Amino acid sequence: MNSAPILTVDNLKTYFFTDEGTVKAVDGASFAVQAGKTVGIVGESGCGKSVTALSILRIIQRPGRIIDGEILLRRVDGAGKSSEVDLARLDPEGGEIRAIRGGEIALVFQEPMTSFSPHYTIGNQIIETIQLHQDISKAEARNRSIELLRMVGIPRPERRIDEYPFELSGGLRQRVMIAMALSCNPRILIADEPTTALDVTTQAQILDLLREIQERTRMSVIIITHDMGVIAEMADDVIVMYLGRVVESGPVDEIFHQPKHPYTQALLRSIPSIFAEPRSKLPTIAGSIPHPHNRPSGCPFHPRCNERMAGLCDVYAPRLLPIGERQMASCFLYHEPEEAPQA
Amino acid sequence: MMKATNGGAPLLEVRNLRRFFPIRKGLLRRVVGQVRAVDDISFHINRGETLSLVGESGCGKTTTARCILRALKPTAGEVRFQTAAGAVVDTANLPKTALKPFRHQMQMIFQDPFSSLNPRMTVFDIIAEPLLASGMKDRDERRRRVENLLELVRLRPEFMGRFPHAFSGGQRQRIGIARALALNPSLIVADEPVSALDVSVQAQILNLMLDLQDELGLTYLFVAHDLSVVKHISDRVAVMYVGKIVEIAETKQLFNAPSHPYTEALLSAVPKPDPRLRSERIVLKGEVADPAQPPSGCYFHPRCAYAIDRCRTETPPLEEIRPGHVVACHRAREIELKGVEAQRAV
Repeated sequence: MNSAPILTVDNLKTYFFTDEGTVKAVDGASFAVQAGKTVGIVGESGCGKSVTALSILRIIQRPGRIIDGEILLRRVDGAGKSSEVDLARLDPEGGEIRAIRGGEIALVFQEPMTSFSPHYTIGNQIIETIQLHQDISKAEARNRSIELLRMVGIPRPERRIDEYPFELSGGLRQRVMIAMALSCNPRILIADEPTTALDVTTQAQILDLLREIQERTRMSVIIITHDMGVIAEMADDVIVMYLGRVVESGPVDEIFHQPKHPYTQALLRSIPSIFAEPRSKLPTIAGSIPHPHNRPSGCPFHPRCNERMAGLCDVYAPRLLPIGERQMASCFLYHEPEEAPQA
Repeated sequence: MMKATNGGAPLLEVRNLRRFFPIRKGLLRRVVGQVRAVDDISFHINRGETLSLVGESGCGKTTTARCILRALKPTAGEVRFQTAAGAVVDTANLPKTALKPFRHQMQMIFQDPFSSLNPRMTVFDIIAEPLLASGMKDRDERRRRVENLLELVRLRPEFMGRFPHAFSGGQRQRIGIARALALNPSLIVADEPVSALDVSVQAQILNLMLDLQDELGLTYLFVAHDLSVVKHISDRVAVMYVGKIVEIAETKQLFNAPSHPYTEALLSAVPKPDPRLRSERIVLKGEVADPAQPPSGCYFHPRCAYAIDRCRTETPPLEEIRPGHVVACHRAREIELKGVEAQRAV
């Protein structure tokens, strides 16, 4: 049932123009988000996963800029007619993106400690969000806020609503953050490392909550994380990024059980496993992630790749192309180069 | 694989360690309560082995590590350390001045390789600083030692003139390890040494720590919250909850046959990197108890699915239920808990 995706990112390029040079934070990312499904974007630091999320919402700070690509958000009106809006073309300060931001597409950040204003009660902050997007009275917005807090599992929401963020634990704050994100019934929820700052038992609670809400509301979720375990638990489809490029994408089972790109394979092998023999060595990926100013030529992974082919991987940049029916990888093990050498 | 203990006495023995932090209020800063960060814990580490201390934030694992290094003065209890000369000293109760001859035998590896190295010092200066402090006056001798140490942690000695910013996170962590090894310590306390690193770099540092342990006969106290990392590095594991140790066992035993319900829940909560294992996880209710106002009886009882009346009133003692496996749970002998292998089989 591959209906048209609700969000399509095509060849997105977001660069940062700094004094030391241009950082290609996202350099040609493409993927699609299906209605009601969860896409996991995974990668290590500097891979561009967070910048991708910020680009979708158009909250890239200077000196960063989207320089190419499309971000198509599809809407279906009451008559069943679908239309598309390209978020990459919108004015980042304009009314249209501001209605989408927090309305149709909501964001949950990593850091529940710093994402709230410390000066206002959590109720104030949720009510403000609701009234920004919906024309309802303050009393109605307050009732809706209490309902939302109850839905995300905050005990005694009618009292908690008047508390300040510092009065809540990290886990409760992340729940409030999710409540706020859900306040305008978004069609897409972007969760950027939603559980990274939390303890493992709290993480389990929050992941369960996200799944439960998704089942109820049928919204789409984009979950961004470095944790392959979280991806395995949550995602339907997976995008693996490395240094601004999508190196592989596909359904979660294929990614974990038949990974194609050498980076995905090496990453999966190098994760410490709870099933490992005690005191056993881990296979490693040689070297470290290059500094963004020293991007390798050709395939960005080639200096660390065990299967690199000299004269090919260090010269040509592979494109993300299909392998089989549902998987895609950008690697010359599977495709011939088709273009001139790229700097 | 358990390491044989030579000489019988463990390298480190912690007895009834307590560290409370006073809560002060009002103009006179009167003490109105105590945060019982570490509350009567006992364990030992044998020479050449790795004991991991695991638990969630606020459980007291870092405070324990700092008490052992005497970066914090324990409120009560003993930290009995076997010195290189073979004597046993209680570092918890020695005056600070008397500690100096032993301090270099216990060293620390820090979590954050970005803030734990002075950005204004070269790698040589960073690693040679403890050498100089211990009286190695000859610069050439220090240079040779630093070269050796860099080779030991698999870094190129030519880099010793560079500053920390020129290195990646993994390389900086290697520099931190070289500094910790400079004075030939017997005990290394590593507080979350890989949690700030990228996955592909974590594996390199864990492997290095395993190699160094074999080469140098080091003993590790490994403080971490990531149970997968702990599984790779440890001989034995101690689980802490709200300032108390709830279970200690050999690594395999703890992961495959946990005997405390909190350990079971922790193991169950770890997201497994395999989408085919999306099983029913144990999701604990509520939150970690406040160490300033812990619940009555067993601190875990409000969240425990197995709790009975006795758990609400009576604090369970840490008891040995089989050789080398101690648990603080009234029901440890009667309940059947699931380890990670059981989850994989589902």
